Amino acid sequence: MTRYVMVVDQSRCIGCQSCTVACRTWNDLPLDIIYNPVVSEGTKGTFPDVYRTWTPTQCMHCANPECVPCCPTGASQQDDDGTVWVDYEKCMGCKVCVNACPYGMRDVSHMVPRFDQYVRKCTFCRSRRAQDPAAEPYCVATCHQRARIFGDIDDPESEVSKLINTNYTERIFTELGTDPQIYYIPEMGGGAR
Amino acid sequence: MKHHYWEAPIVIYLFLGGLGGGIFFLSALFDLIITPGAGPLFFAPVFFALAALALGCFFLVFELGQPPVFWRVFTTKTAIIKWGAVLLSVAMIFGFVWWASYLYVLGWEWTFGLAAALEGIRPIMLGIAGIAGFGIMVYTGVMLSTLKAHAFWATPALPVLFTVSALSTACAAIALSLGGAVDVNVIGAVVAELIHEIVHVVDIVLVVAEITVLLIMVLSFYGAGNVTAQAVAKRWVRGKTAPLFWGGMIFGGLVLPLLLYILAAGSAGSEILAPILVLCGGLLLRYLCVYSDERAPIPGEERFYERLPKKDAAFLTAWTKGKNLY
Repeated sequence: MTRYVMVVDQSRCIGCQSCTVACRTWNDLPLDIIYNPVVSEGTKGTFPDVYRTWTPTQCMHCANPECVPCCPTGASQQDDDGTVWVDYEKCMGCKVCVNACPYGMRDVSHMVPRFDQYVRKCTFCRSRRAQDPAAEPYCVATCHQRARIFGDIDDPESEVSKLINTNYTERIFTELGTDPQIYYIPEMGGGAR
Repeated sequence: MKHHYWEAPIVIYLFLGGLGGGIFFLSALFDLIITPGAGPLFFAPVFFALAALALGCFFLVFELGQPPVFWRVFTTKTAIIKWGAVLLSVAMIFGFVWWASYLYVLGWEWTFGLAAALEGIRPIMLGIAGIAGFGIMVYTGVMLSTLKAHAFWATPALPVLFTVSALSTACAAIALSLGGAVDVNVIGAVVAELIHEIVHVVDIVLVVAEITVLLIMVLSFYGAGNVTAQAVAKRWVRGKTAPLFWGGMIFGGLVLPLLLYILAAGSAGSEILAPILVLCGGLLLRYLCVYSDERAPIPGEERFYERLPKKDAAFLTAWTKGKNLY
């Protein structure tokens, strides 16, 4: 069984936002929608011992997503490989799933006609993988630092499996029971949370 | 937090849904159990309940990103919002049939046959509408409280608060409209007075209960909530929302009508002003709650979004109005 996850190595991320731009390009996003912002709390520490940590974020493709069962139209759904996505043909833009997501990774665009809004989110580049099953999400393919690594966690030989098994990893808001599937290898001085 | 995902139409929908559901529930309670045969007196209140639910549904549909396909809300089994839509539909359909069976009170001859045809099923119609109405009252709070991403909503106290508030506003609406549009005889006037008295006492109890639940909920969050819920509670108790909470919600919407109910019983202040204040307080409660949708941010997230251009920024406006819409 395939179960796609992403590993984010924060020690490699330099906050260049290339993944953000790549995502916008591939998904042709309106200006007010960002699927994968790379955020930072800013510089920490006291000179000369200062550091800055970047946290590339995106939909966590939770194993137990809050956003799927609350959808009244069945537009918000999850594939067997764990990919959480929205069927735009079914979505009516009620924004229940947007409110349900603890990570704020869903939204409707306010730059499209008022009555043509539907919920948008990261799909691990589902359409891209449909064209080429070997393709990685565009943010992963674009990351020149190899900070984002994508793969099948159920395959013990995959890079993500090896990284997760050999590194200390953190996940965001696990206390909510969503079982997020983005694993962060923390940078020195602090992790994703 | 990027922005508020749900705006004013949802505030109005939650208020009107609770109000309409509460009127149906109380009307069924009075007409079927407490004062059987008082149906015609509830002709006007049920009309307002139907109007409230219809208007609430309009605002709900208006808030959708794609209103023409609102019917998709009925296409799954599990979503709580689907059950809300079902309860709204059931209450409106059965409530309308009950209401239509009393159209004869307006003196329209063509409705006499309709009344005779529907007379036998009135109790069933109002009973089902009343049960659905109760479900709507509870649902408005449950819908928010199941969204655990929002710490201030995800508490069992919220459905209790919304249900008590819905019942209280329904009492107020019934007090204002009971017996409206109907020529009542002496017995009808006595029954109407009795119902007024009961509603008056019940609303006093409900207002006290609402003050209690509201203060317990807000002050619990204020003292012992997690960081996000505590921030909201601080805003309510001594932040920028404090005037609306203490002055508008607690004093204007609860304490003042309570004083009018108790100290000015029988006067216009108690009969008219107090119910209107209770209705305003109910709307204000939904407003304050819906706009308390803070979510625990991912560390650094707020800093990121603060730096983005706002939607009225010249850059975005120029882009939107230009050739490249996106």
